[in-house]
Amino acid sequence: MRLTCPSCGSRGLEEFTYRGDASVRRPAADGSEQAWVDYVYLRDNPCGRHQELWYHGAGCRSWLVVTRDTRTHEVFDVRNARDVILTERQTDAGEGEAS
Amino acid sequence: MADPLFPVLPVPHGPVRWGAMTCAQSPLAEIVSLGAFSGVGRDELVKRIHEAFGVILPDQPRAVASADGGCSFLWSGPSQWLAVAEEGAGLLSRLREVCGDVCALTSQSDSRSIMKLSGPGVREAMSRLVPIDLHPTVFGKDHVASTLAGHIPVIMWQTDDAPTYLFFVFRSFAASLFHDVSVALSGFSSSEMDICV
Repeated sequence: MRLTCPSCGSRGLEEFTYRGDASVRRPAADGSEQAWVDYVYLRDNPCGRHQELWYHGAGCRSWLVVTRDTRTHEVFDVRNARDVILTERQTDAGEGEAS
Repeated sequence: MADPLFPVLPVPHGPVRWGAMTCAQSPLAEIVSLGAFSGVGRDELVKRIHEAFGVILPDQPRAVASADGGCSFLWSGPSQWLAVAEEGAGLLSRLREVCGDVCALTSQSDSRSIMKLSGPGVREAMSRLVPIDLHPTVFGKDHVASTLAGHIPVIMWQTDDAPTYLFFVFRSFAASLFHDVSVALSGFSSSEMDICV
């Protein structure tokens, strides 16, 4: 399997480290106990498209969000985790203003 | 009984040749890493370096030389660069004056040694060692890559079309890298060597 790092280009898997599900989000500090249990312990084991965190440790040392099919290893999208979270925060802020 | 420790050079002192290919340890260099602070750090750093050194810091894996040719800047990650100059150039103090307030400056002179490989055939030999595409249409002059040579983390920089590659390697890995490079270079049979030459 190869991943196309947004900075470095196409690289082999040996340069990357898998970290886990990229779709989980930390609940609010005063969130329910169940929300925290879900966040800390519970993970889905999806069959198909999955968002994952990967670390390009042997390259540019960026954190990446990879969208991958767990059955075929087809990679649909690789983006900088920083860009993903900034976009998300902007969207959240935009929705906050609208409501 | 414990073995006494003696200082031993990790690689042969002089250049080593296989056919027309040469592997040599580069002279000591001053190396400084630049990591832009968040916020306006990156833009300000690019501006200051442009004013002081007459060059735009690259935002992709490339190397650029300062206007006076005294030092080079290598991309080493998003908003991170390595500045390289001859030993005794006073690079760190100059950078500290120019941009010490907008980026983290760390001397890397003692952390890495530089191995220089050059000559026809080096591209083919290095293709055996690094897992990236070195074809001239993909990786050319002044291209830079952070990658693994064998299992050793390196920053490689192609400095000319001969081709010549510089490998920036952590000092303690220099002997291992030299061994891996030797194996990659000496793996050529004499007939292959003729083709390369």
